[in-house]
Amino acid sequence: MRPTARKSSFDRFLRDLHPGESAHWPQYVQALAATCLCTACVYPFNRTLGLFNVAMCYVLVASIAALRLGRGAAVLLCVANMLAFDFFFVPPAFSFEVMDTRYLFMLGVMLVVALVIANLMISVRRHRDLASARERRTAVLYAMSRELAVATDAASMAAAAVRNICAVFHSTAVVLMADEAGRLTPVQAAGGGPVDAEDHPVCELPDYDPAIAQHVVDRAERCLRDAIYLPLLGTRRVRGVIVVRPAAGARPLPSEQLQLLDAFAAQLSLSLQRVRVAQAAEAARLAAERVLLCNTLLASISHDLRTPLAAIAGAGSLISQAHYSLSEDRRTTLGTLIERKARDMSQLLSNVLELTKMELGAGPLNADWHAIDDLVALALRAHETRLAKWRVSLSLPLDLPLIFVDATLIVQILGNLLENATKYTPPGTAIMIAAAARADRMLVSVADRGPGLPPGDPERLFEKFRRGRTESHIAGVGLGLAICRAAARLHGGEVRAMTHTGGGARFEVSLPVNKPELQRIVEFDASSVSA
Amino acid sequence: MTDAMHAILIVEDDPAIQNVLRILFEANGLRVVVAETARRGEHSAKLNRPDIVVIDLGLPDGDGLQVISAIRAWSSVPIIIVSARTAEAQRLAAFENGADDYVLKPFSAPELLARVRAMIRRHARADRPKGVLQLGEVLVDMTLRVARNRDGREVRFTPLEYRILESLLRHGDRIMTHAALINEVWGPTRDDTRALRVYIGSLRRKLEGDPSRPRHILTELGIGYRLVIDGEGPSGPALQTA
Repeated sequence: MRPTARKSSFDRFLRDLHPGESAHWPQYVQALAATCLCTACVYPFNRTLGLFNVAMCYVLVASIAALRLGRGAAVLLCVANMLAFDFFFVPPAFSFEVMDTRYLFMLGVMLVVALVIANLMISVRRHRDLASARERRTAVLYAMSRELAVATDAASMAAAAVRNICAVFHSTAVVLMADEAGRLTPVQAAGGGPVDAEDHPVCELPDYDPAIAQHVVDRAERCLRDAIYLPLLGTRRVRGVIVVRPAAGARPLPSEQLQLLDAFAAQLSLSLQRVRVAQAAEAARLAAERVLLCNTLLASISHDLRTPLAAIAGAGSLISQAHYSLSEDRRTTLGTLIERKARDMSQLLSNVLELTKMELGAGPLNADWHAIDDLVALALRAHETRLAKWRVSLSLPLDLPLIFVDATLIVQILGNLLENATKYTPPGTAIMIAAAARADRMLVSVADRGPGLPPGDPERLFEKFRRGRTESHIAGVGLGLAICRAAARLHGGEVRAMTHTGGGARFEVSLPVNKPELQRIVEFDASSVSA
Repeated sequence: MTDAMHAILIVEDDPAIQNVLRILFEANGLRVVVAETARRGEHSAKLNRPDIVVIDLGLPDGDGLQVISAIRAWSSVPIIIVSARTAEAQRLAAFENGADDYVLKPFSAPELLARVRAMIRRHARADRPKGVLQLGEVLVDMTLRVARNRDGREVRFTPLEYRILESLLRHGDRIMTHAALINEVWGPTRDDTRALRVYIGSLRRKLEGDPSRPRHILTELGIGYRLVIDGEGPSGPALQTA
């Protein structure tokens, strides 16, 4: 709903909520005008209609007018009608005198009938107004609850509530959330205040008295001062306070509106409750997933650590016991084997630790500005010996923007992708590393000319403990790509596997970049050269 | 290098690693002194005056960083850290405390030995390289501020590039942290690395044979940069006549 359209319907709604509020005097004038009009219309037909029908006309006018007028005006109309009938029609005409006492009785009956009908009409109308007010109130609440339903976090819910309250009550409002200790902090949408769909601020933040707000939290009951303080009740404690300050100079809100505000507050409380429940469920799901991860990990580790351990222990015992009288060659072989197996185990261990750390979200990213070619060079240097038998080609344009990333993680992503390429492609084939800037993303890809991706959904490669070939001598437990994905996602990026055009596999890392920053530095460079 | 046996102080509490290091260094002609605790390490450094210290960060009676600061208070002996601590912040703290190099456990024996030897050699060479340096394809004369490549064409540096190169050179081939480098080149007010990254990139394009695989200006992840000098090139006049 557009805010302006909504506003006018709300104005009507607020009028309907308290019909007695509108000014009375025009209605009395209208009542007298109705009498005059009726008299003027009927008078020419006095003779043809006859006295009784004229009286009926007056009663009819009074009944119809009662649909629109207030009670006082309706009574005035009935009395004015009777007097006009008496003055203009009851013989003798143009006098309040009455010739016959039967006419007196007639005037009395006419007044009573008109009053009864008018009264009935008024109460019918009151019921209709109440019903439509209820309907509108439901509509307003529904509009807010619909906004609350799509909001996913406490801040956007608070913003939605503030937006609705501001629009409905022509006031400023703020939601204060209480933390575990009961301290209150205002919830602010990005940009400092609640905004509507087009990002225009709906209303500025009201002044509020933190002491009163705190009092409301402690007592869990609403407080009406210069502003309205409503508690947001949770199941166990007060979760926050809505402060609503009516626009300057406005009348204090009538009780119907206060009830509506209460309903708004209750609605918001419920939604916040929903967020908390959802968060608890998410936490439980994560915990369950972690247990599952641990179990898989244990099962996997017990195999993948025991095998190299057996090799190490065996080789060690062969070397240490002199009576095997090993030749120089064999001792070297065993020594190399021990070293290689120990390194594999160390790699496995750091992979597991790395992934666990990322999945638990331990600590903030250690991000800084980096040049992608620098990170590629580091990954190549780290895997120099491993890559010696492959032909690595680079395609890194000179004008690539800097990226704001945790270098260790990016180097690890690239390293894992390179390591995979050496594991799954035959030596002597090509590995291609390329980077390109695309709008607000940086795409870095590692492609090979090997046998390509295994059949099936490439996304499955990124699952934990998933390996390209299930039973093979290739070392590792299938954490490499899972780590790549977790690390990329920590940066708001993604890693995807695809088939390389011309054969082979291609892994593409996309990372967000911030381009304007680079341009500033390049300008800076130019000025320093001329200096 | 002198003929006298160089002494190496190993501060490490794990007997297995102690053994491996002792065998490694003794087999390669170094005199090995071992200390198991931080306190004994400090004491032994004063007593034995080693030519190089290899130290673990996690020690039973304290942190290796304390030992480094204590030794740095009176000596410029090269210090290499051998530790299982991988976090960048911890490595950075080690360099800021005065460590010269950092080797991660599990280490490769040949690599550690190479680093120890390089460090001893560098320390023995009292004077820092001055005059003409060979950096890959380029000969740089730091006194005349001229650089020429193999064909004799002049390589031009912007003033800031030159200042970065000078700062790196002053540190020999020791790692220079981002903060120290930015402080020397731009002054203490600047604190972001973006300009530094851009200039290092352009320096590499001028100096390195293959800028995408640098051999001279090396990045130490999360710590800083290290300049590797091939050696001191031919004397000044050769450069000028080229």
